[in-house]
Amino acid sequence: MTTGGPILLIDTATTRAVIALGGADGSLRAERGWTAGYRHGEELLERIERLLADEGVALADLGAVAVGTGPGAFTGLRVGIATAKGLAHALSVPIVGVATGAALLDAAASAAGTGALVLVQPAGPNDRVLVRRGEAARILPGGTDPDLAPGERLVAVDLAGRSPEDAAALGGLAVDGLAAAMLATAARRLAAGDADDLARLVPEYVTLPRGVRMPQPDEGVEVSGATPERAKP
Amino acid sequence: MSGPLLLAVESSCDETGIALVEDGRRIHANVVASQVALHAPTGGIVPEVAARAHLRWIVPVLDEALATAGVSMRDVDGVAVTYGPGLAGSLLVGINFAKTLAFAHRKPLVPVNHLEGHVYAGWLLDPGEDEREAPPFPLVALVVSGGHTFLVEMRDHLDYRYLGGTVDDAAGEAFDKVGRLLGLGYPGGPAISREAARATAHDRVFPRAWLGESYDVSFSGLKTAARRIVAQAREDEGLPADEREGALAEATVAELAWGFQDSVVDVLAAKTIRAAEEIGARGIVLGGGVAANSALRARISGEAAARGIAMVIPRPGLCTDNGAMIGAAGARRLAAGVRAGLDLDARPSLPLARPTSR
Ligand SMILES: [Zn+2]
Repeated sequence: MTTGGPILLIDTATTRAVIALGGADGSLRAERGWTAGYRHGEELLERIERLLADEGVALADLGAVAVGTGPGAFTGLRVGIATAKGLAHALSVPIVGVATGAALLDAAASAAGTGALVLVQPAGPNDRVLVRRGEAARILPGGTDPDLAPGERLVAVDLAGRSPEDAAALGGLAVDGLAAAMLATAARRLAAGDADDLARLVPEYVTLPRGVRMPQPDEGVEVSGATPERAKP
Repeated sequence: MSGPLLLAVESSCDETGIALVEDGRRIHANVVASQVALHAPTGGIVPEVAARAHLRWIVPVLDEALATAGVSMRDVDGVAVTYGPGLAGSLLVGINFAKTLAFAHRKPLVPVNHLEGHVYAGWLLDPGEDEREAPPFPLVALVVSGGHTFLVEMRDHLDYRYLGGTVDDAAGEAFDKVGRLLGLGYPGGPAISREAARATAHDRVFPRAWLGESYDVSFSGLKTAARRIVAQAREDEGLPADEREGALAEATVAELAWGFQDSVVDVLAAKTIRAAEEIGARGIVLGGGVAANSALRARISGEAAARGIAMVIPRPGLCTDNGAMIGAAGARRLAAGVRAGLDLDARPSLPLARPTSR
C-alpha cells in the first residue's frame, strides 16, 4: 500500500500543533511543533512548506499522509483533517487517521516506563475527556474526578493548572513524544495495507451539545448536481 | 466564452458545494451535498454535526465535480473559497481544504464573501443554457436566506452599497419558526410555500412592519403575531395550545401559511421595488434560499416587468448555497487581483458592505 516515500504527519488535536516527516518504516526524521492555541489553520500550510524545504523533500515525493483524529479541540481537528485530506487527494497518496489519544498514551508510556496510564484532556470550558487504552474515549463532566484503579497514573494534556503537577509533567512528555508515536502507528498500518478511506475519515468526537445524538457518518446527506438539472425556460 | 476556469468551494453552513465555473458564468459542474435531512430531527443546525458532515463529504463532492466537468486539477486556473460569513467550524473545513488544493496544485487562492456569492448567482449559466445578457448595472440585489436579509446597490462589479436589511431575524428564520408553529417541520420555507399555494381562503391578514421610509425590515413582530394568530386558530378549532398536540385543519394551515408568506413577500417586494426606482436601477437580482420561494419570485418579477426593469432570479438550486455562486463571484475577484495567502482564516461575521449614512 505504501509507496515507500516519506510519511507527512499532522496533528492539531492539542493546543500544540505538530507536523513531522517520517520514513516509510515509521522512523522520525524531523518534527516541528508550535503553540497554535485554537488558530491551527493560519500557520499549518506554511509550516509544512518550510519543513519539506528544510528536509529537501518535494511535495510530490511524499508517500502517505498521517493525521491525528483526536480526541481534542474541534477547531484544530477540522483544520488538520481538512488539510490532510486535501494533501492526500492532491498527491494521490494514502491517508491514515491515527487516534491522538492512543498515541499520547503510547508516548507517555515510553517516557514513564511501566504502569497503567489514563489520559485526560479538556473538552469545552468545563468538562474533560478521559482515554484509557483499548477503551472508547468518554466524557468526564466538570466537577467529577476520574475513578483511577490502584496504580493508574494520570497523563494531563492541555490541563496545566487544572490537574496535578506530575500529571501535567507526564502530559508534557507525552506531547513531546507524540510525533514519534503517531508515525510508528501510521507506518505499521500502512505496511499492513490498512490505510483509511479518504472520504470517510472524520475526527473522533466525544462531546456534543446535550441531547444531540452523533449521526452515522453517511446519514442525512443528499448529493445533487452530478448531472445538473437544466434551468427552466 | 473562454475565460479562467475556477474550482469553487462553499461550506459556510450546511451544504458542501464544489463547482467548476468558466469565466464567472458558465457552470461546468455544481455538486452539492445537502445536510438538510441531517438537521431535521433537531429542528436546526447543530454546528458540530455540520462540520463533521462537511469533512465527510468534501472529497466525494470534489471528485464528483471534477468528473462531471470532465477536467482535472491541472485544467483549473484558480481555487475560490468562501471565507465568511458563516459557521466557524463549517467554514474552516472548506477553507483549509481549498487552501491545501491551491497550495499543492500551485493555483491562486481567491477568498470570496458568501453573501456576494448569492448576488453573483444571478450571472450563472447552466451547462447547455443559451447565452443571455448579464445583469445590467446599476442594480439592486435582494439577498434573503435563513441567515441573511438585506438589499444592496451595485453600480459596478464588486461595488456594494448597503441600502437596508433586517434589524432582527432573517426572513428564513421566520419561515422556520412559523413552519414549526404550523406543524410543518424543518425547514419551514419550502413547506410554507407549498401549503400557501393550496390556500383557498385569503382572509387572514398578518401584520407588516414597514419601518418608515428606510430599507430596513423586521420579522420579530411578525413572528410574535404569528404565534398569537396560530394560538387563536388552535383555540377556535378546540385544540390544546401546544402545537405538537393535535394538528390544525389542513385548510387552516394553508390559509395561515398564505397569510404569513404574503406579509413577508409584500414587505420585501415593496422595499426592493422602491429601492430600484430610487436609484434608477436597470436590473434587480434576487438571491439566497428564500429567493427560491415562488410567491416572492412571482411578485417581484411582475412589479419589475411593469417598470421595465430587468429581473434576474436564479433557478432555486442556485438560490440555495452552492459552489457555483462562489465561482461566479470568485472570477470577478480573480480578475481584480484579489488573492489570499496560505494563512487565510474563517471570518464568521464578515460583512458584505457596512450600513452607511445616506
Ligand atoms: Zn447562503
